[in-house]
Amino acid sequence: MANAATRLDRWLGPLNGPQTMGRGVPFWLCFIAAVVVLAIAPNFLSRYDIINFSNFLISGLLALSLGLIWGYCGILSLGQASFFGLGGYAYGVVAMNLLRAHGNTDVAFVAGILIPVAFAAVIGAILFYARLRGVYVAILMLVISLVIGTFLRQTADPSYTIGAAYLGGMNGLRPTSPDDPLLPSLIFGFGDWVAEFDGRSVSFYHLVLAIVVAVYLGLRCVVNSTYGFLLVGVREEPERTETFGYDVRLIQLSVFCLAAAIAGLSGVLYTAWGTYIHPDGFGVAQNILVVIWVAVGGRKDLLAALLGALVLNWISLRLASEGEFALLVMGAILVGVMLLAPEGLAIAIGNRLGRLFGHGAKVGQPAVRTEEG
Amino acid sequence: MGAPATKLAVAGTMILETRGLMKTYGGVAALQGVDFALKTGELHCIIGPNGAGKSTFFKLLMGIERPSAGQIVFKGRDITRLQAHERARLGITVKFQSMRVYQDLPVYHNLFIPLRRHHRAREIPAVVERLLADVHLSGTGEEYVRNLSHGQQQWLAIAMAVAAEPEVLLLDEPTAGMSAEETTATARIVKRLNGQGTSIIVIEHDMAFIRDLDSMTSVLHYGALFAQGAFKDIEASVEVQRIYLGTL
Repeated sequence: MANAATRLDRWLGPLNGPQTMGRGVPFWLCFIAAVVVLAIAPNFLSRYDIINFSNFLISGLLALSLGLIWGYCGILSLGQASFFGLGGYAYGVVAMNLLRAHGNTDVAFVAGILIPVAFAAVIGAILFYARLRGVYVAILMLVISLVIGTFLRQTADPSYTIGAAYLGGMNGLRPTSPDDPLLPSLIFGFGDWVAEFDGRSVSFYHLVLAIVVAVYLGLRCVVNSTYGFLLVGVREEPERTETFGYDVRLIQLSVFCLAAAIAGLSGVLYTAWGTYIHPDGFGVAQNILVVIWVAVGGRKDLLAALLGALVLNWISLRLASEGEFALLVMGAILVGVMLLAPEGLAIAIGNRLGRLFGHGAKVGQPAVRTEEG
Repeated sequence: MGAPATKLAVAGTMILETRGLMKTYGGVAALQGVDFALKTGELHCIIGPNGAGKSTFFKLLMGIERPSAGQIVFKGRDITRLQAHERARLGITVKFQSMRVYQDLPVYHNLFIPLRRHHRAREIPAVVERLLADVHLSGTGEEYVRNLSHGQQQWLAIAMAVAAEPEVLLLDEPTAGMSAEETTATARIVKRLNGQGTSIIVIEHDMAFIRDLDSMTSVLHYGALFAQGAFKDIEASVEVQRIYLGTL
């Protein structure tokens, strides 16, 4: 077993490491099986379910982005949804303006990622170079998100247009005039080759699934690299890490930007999925929901955060017909998990399984000491 | 690399110097004009009653805090305005009074982080082996730090500072909470490091440990240098005994 694990480690190279849960053969077999089941799900699930699953996976990306900065680097942002929203608006505005000329949304897709990154670079530089930490970063990020949301809510006046895109206040992004194109789904084009992914289609679902798997595997490589250990070093002992010659501010800023890119990507996909983006995404509820997904799943592991988002989204959809009852159940789940498995449900289960298969528990063990962040 | 370096006349073989170093916290002076010099390759102990400003002195040397006035010079270069990580890159590092080890990482990766600045990833396992053997921690690489005893965590904290491969090593209470045997072993480790050419300043309360090191010793009292000399002279000084034990 140990030999097989070593060989697997070598073969998987940067994908495997102590910073992520699940390194053995059983884990990877389950992982591949789960991806295959998700990939063939459209064959046995209804169209309605698949459309919802696309959205769950998009939320999963947002959870991954928060898990990366909060779980690994100790930066709790209560405004992670602002990057999601900015990505969505950036995608929409650019897509509506360039669709006629380009016939695709390539530039919009890239803009929806880069604009949140640029915003994160400016905000992060201020926060981290001022050496703000912990609750200050968390609250400032929430305030920033609320400010953007409040501004966008007040853009109902017809003068708030960016070319062919009208910001539209509470109603969300719309065409400036009836002649301008509607907010499009994803259309990728390279030369003569054009691929359209309608948000309601199976192909869109497959695209989102592929992106989520790629981002998850990519982030596994990141957190198991030297950089990943530095992230944990900054989370655990920022001053100590600094006295080893690492610029902690730069590490925080860089991971903050990377997380903003993933959140932005999530926002792009969400906007393309529903061909719709509105200011509610910047609100308190949306921002807190992301934190709940990650906290319930487990912040110190990428897959745990992703699973938290998928499962909780699924539960809240099941409960949606029950009205107010759904919110109560979500609250009860959060409180229950925080009491019974403060490190997160998926991590607790993963550690249990890990012991079953003879590996030591590796990630987010119940902490003996008090934890911050 | 950060602030412009003022080239100062290289003062003999001094590796680290402070000139009129002051630190006040809201009107209370923690350090009031300390002139201190560490020779290249020297082992120097700093003692003094609680609240004498010893840990503040280290924080200023490392760049964790800014001095209110005064100057810090490393190898003839004014580093007063440099950030902690910039000073670390020049070759200064510290073991803090509290251990500040990475509780949530295995022992191996506690050393990996400081080592990675100087070594390729594939060289590190061998270096870790050697470092762990030096501090009596062989075979603990896979352990999570929280499973180590207090004394072992102190040794790991020292090994981490050594792993940063500094020219000047600042050790703040390296033997706090250690047993007598552990303290003796720690003195051997410190002397060996110094023998290998590292310049070291040690802050300590444990007189047996300092006697063991038998080096130049400075006494800080109310934020000022009170006395300086060989340890046996300091130990014999009536004045020093007075500040430690109250009025005689």
